[in-house]
Amino acid sequence: MNVAPPNTLGELFLGFLSIGARSFGGVMPWAHRVMVEERRWITEADFAETIGLCQFLPGPNIGNASIVFGKRWFGPMGSLVAFLGLFALPFVWVLALFALYADFAATNPALRAVVTGVGAAGAGLFIGTAVKLGRVLARRPAAIALIAACFLAAGIGRISLFVVLPIAFAAALIAAWRDWL
Amino acid sequence: MTLLELSLYFMLLSLISVGGMPSVLPELQRYAVDVKGWMTAEDFIQVFAVGQAAPGPNVLIASLVGWKVAGLGGALVALASMCGPAAVLAYWVAEAWERFKDTRWRKAIQRAIAPVVVALILSGGFILATPGAPDWRLWAIAAATAAGMLATKVNPLWFLAAGGAIGGFLLG
Repeated sequence: MNVAPPNTLGELFLGFLSIGARSFGGVMPWAHRVMVEERRWITEADFAETIGLCQFLPGPNIGNASIVFGKRWFGPMGSLVAFLGLFALPFVWVLALFALYADFAATNPALRAVVTGVGAAGAGLFIGTAVKLGRVLARRPAAIALIAACFLAAGIGRISLFVVLPIAFAAALIAAWRDWL
Repeated sequence: MTLLELSLYFMLLSLISVGGMPSVLPELQRYAVDVKGWMTAEDFIQVFAVGQAAPGPNVLIASLVGWKVAGLGGALVALASMCGPAAVLAYWVAEAWERFKDTRWRKAIQRAIAPVVVALILSGGFILATPGAPDWRLWAIAAATAAGMLATKVNPLWFLAAGGAIGGFLLG
């Protein structure tokens, strides 16, 4: 399959705008559809590799991907344009939805109950994601111990991540270096 | 002053947000609710719910927290600060990181990050589903959603909608 990068900054902007505009229920599937299938900017393998890379950097994965692809094609301007295209519409929509919520639901007990239910389901999506990612790791006792300790500290103990993360990461690094993970 | 504080906090959060926004939700909740008292834990789950239901990257939850604290300026500052440092890092580091793909230390870092991220996402889910005293209704919705997500491939929005319907029925 022939792939070709966007020709202009305008094209890049519109591509990322259409990713953000349609990203109901998660951005990644739409990023794939727009960049690999519709506009054919990159190959499947390239997409997977870049997203994998972005997962190991801090920050939103898809936000990082917009920076990396933008830079590859148009340098710093490309990064900025791709990033702004991605966030422009979702930013407006989330604030609009929140304004609606604040006007109608925030003080209405019945609607608050619905919103809390949505939040609990969102929490469930996180838990499901953790289980999905964790299943692959669970063969190693050291990984299970790390996950348990980190959950006890951050989830139950409510200790700040600025404390938990450096310690957990140092321990994980030692374990990984010794091939326990 | 509030804007400056928001900005500094989210910039720090940005730098430790390995795994994205879900990883740092426990920390954001702790700071916004326990430390600063910007909102209650019940409000936090509502803000999170709105952020999940709207389209877009879930880092937009940062802008909702900013909005709640300082209006539109707060929303812009929070989002820019949450994305900025990570974006600069991605800009400079991504290609170098790719070059070291086959080195032992890079593989060690990748393997080390995975379990930590899993634990943080799990913590985020647990904290969100437990805003006050443990409530079996919230846990049931969360557990059913997690199970449904693992068993099927339907768009997650359906689970959010179902959660809302069940929440309205059980919690209302």
